[in-house]
Amino acid sequence: MKKRKLLKTIQKKFLIYVPLTLFALFMMGPFLWLISVSLMPGKNVFSFPPAIFPTFIDFKNYVDVWRYMDFLKYIWNTVIITFFGVIFSILLCSLTAYPLAIFKFKGKNIIFVAMIATMIIPAAAGLVVNYLTINKLGLINTFTGVVLPSLVTVFNVFLFRQAFMGIPSDIRDSGKMDGASEFRIWWQLMMPMIKPAIAVVALFEFMASWNSFLWPIIVLNTDKYPLASALSTLNGQFSYNFGWIAAGTVISVLPIIIVFLLTQKYFMEGISGAIKG
Amino acid sequence: MKQKRVAKLSRFSEVQTAWLFMGPGLILLALFTFWPIIYSVPLAFTNYSVIGETSFVGFENFKRAFSDVNFIASIKNSLLYMIIVPFIQILSILMAILVNRKIAGIKFFRAAFYIPVVTSMVAVSIIWGWLMSSNGVLNYTLLSIGIINEKINWLSDKDTALWAVMFITLWKGLGYYMMIYLAGLQAIPSDCIEAAKIDGASNFQVIRKITIPLLKPYVFFCTLISLMAAIRVFDEVFVLTSGGPGNETLTSSLYIYQQGFEVFEFGYSSALGIIISFIIMFFSIFIFLFNKKGGVNPY
Repeated sequence: MKKRKLLKTIQKKFLIYVPLTLFALFMMGPFLWLISVSLMPGKNVFSFPPAIFPTFIDFKNYVDVWRYMDFLKYIWNTVIITFFGVIFSILLCSLTAYPLAIFKFKGKNIIFVAMIATMIIPAAAGLVVNYLTINKLGLINTFTGVVLPSLVTVFNVFLFRQAFMGIPSDIRDSGKMDGASEFRIWWQLMMPMIKPAIAVVALFEFMASWNSFLWPIIVLNTDKYPLASALSTLNGQFSYNFGWIAAGTVISVLPIIIVFLLTQKYFMEGISGAIKG
Repeated sequence: MKQKRVAKLSRFSEVQTAWLFMGPGLILLALFTFWPIIYSVPLAFTNYSVIGETSFVGFENFKRAFSDVNFIASIKNSLLYMIIVPFIQILSILMAILVNRKIAGIKFFRAAFYIPVVTSMVAVSIIWGWLMSSNGVLNYTLLSIGIINEKINWLSDKDTALWAVMFITLWKGLGYYMMIYLAGLQAIPSDCIEAAKIDGASNFQVIRKITIPLLKPYVFFCTLISLMAAIRVFDEVFVLTSGGPGNETLTSSLYIYQQGFEVFEFGYSSALGIIISFIIMFFSIFIFLFNKKGGVNPY
């Protein structure tokens, strides 16, 4: 009897772990293979049958591509773009969202509807005009020019608005009673209460800035490229040197994967909070 | 009387504070979101480009668009791209159900499913570009299992290119939707499921009768998001195929970009953007109506 029960739990576990493992292989397999390629010096990914596992492990590709590319510079560029992108997105979007959520004033609904309407415009449609604008502002080849157009996005404003609307109005009233200015209420009372929303915007903004490549290519010169843009040029230049590109790709995705793994908990909570809200 | 005046005064200052708060954000939105939209309308009626003088051409650009084989193809491809939406929903719900339990190592699996989402499209495109090449691992695997008889050049074969890119989009996005559905699943009260189980419902019945109906709002939200994403698809086609072979993988976003930044026909590019916006508007109104029926407001 006991044995049968044990058998059943084993069977149940099997039924869960097998599909989980298959899915995990499907999602992670390409990355594992990429790492494998990056550790095989002088191998051609297009030889047939293709090399899947390295026969010996060698970090030569990493050393070479690191020397050639000056990755530290690209990582630094990416860090700057991402840092300012995230900080100012949070500040500006929450400042914009706060009155939209809490205040009563004329024109609120018009602003709101106008914002929703912009979400239907195809991504590429604004590029040309934005380029002309950035050019006119004299921001070509500056990090400001890269960051500025995407600082305030309708999506983030809505996320913050939703979060602010969830805060009971007593809190703002009590702040007012104590004579706090609206700015202080926003910064000292409201912002701490919407930490989950801040975490979501921070993480999504982090991902978007870290991975952006097209706009930086349009606005910046090669030496100011962030990682993703640099990677796409490396791929274009050395399409035959697979080990290098593989190593470069691994280097470029490693930081964000590490950040993701460290903040996984907030990702989860954040997304659920954003949707439920 | 005096009190009324004070109230009125403070209300006036509330409007002012509102605009002070929103000022910086609205200026940026106006400059980089509204201005491109507004400015693209007059542009669409001109022949503005890097060469030659700009002049008003009336509806010329729009007429040209509807007889432009590439543009028609790009719209067709963008519409075809929407086919992945139901597949994304089904697969990601399945994944969410799989990872929605407290067992050893489940955190690892959740992370594994989500890693493609956080990775840049450039990196993903490089990897899948290699995997899908004619001598790549994909062909090797399929040949050895016996699913295909000869090598297929997935990304440059006319019949498979669009499907191959669509597959990459799907693969990269799955984790994102899985997380949303997982959040939805965890919002379902567990006593609801327990009660059903006590009444003798099977696992399958629970999924069909309780889980799926309660997930409905999330399905609407995800459908909306993934439809928008399907129409906006850009990065993967830009890196992997740049629209080829022929115009098999030319999506509307990519074509707008090409007309703007490769051919520098700003006027024509703007006209294309306007046409596509109208098409997207049609779909979003459609979904928003659906959405209302489902009783959920994602924002």
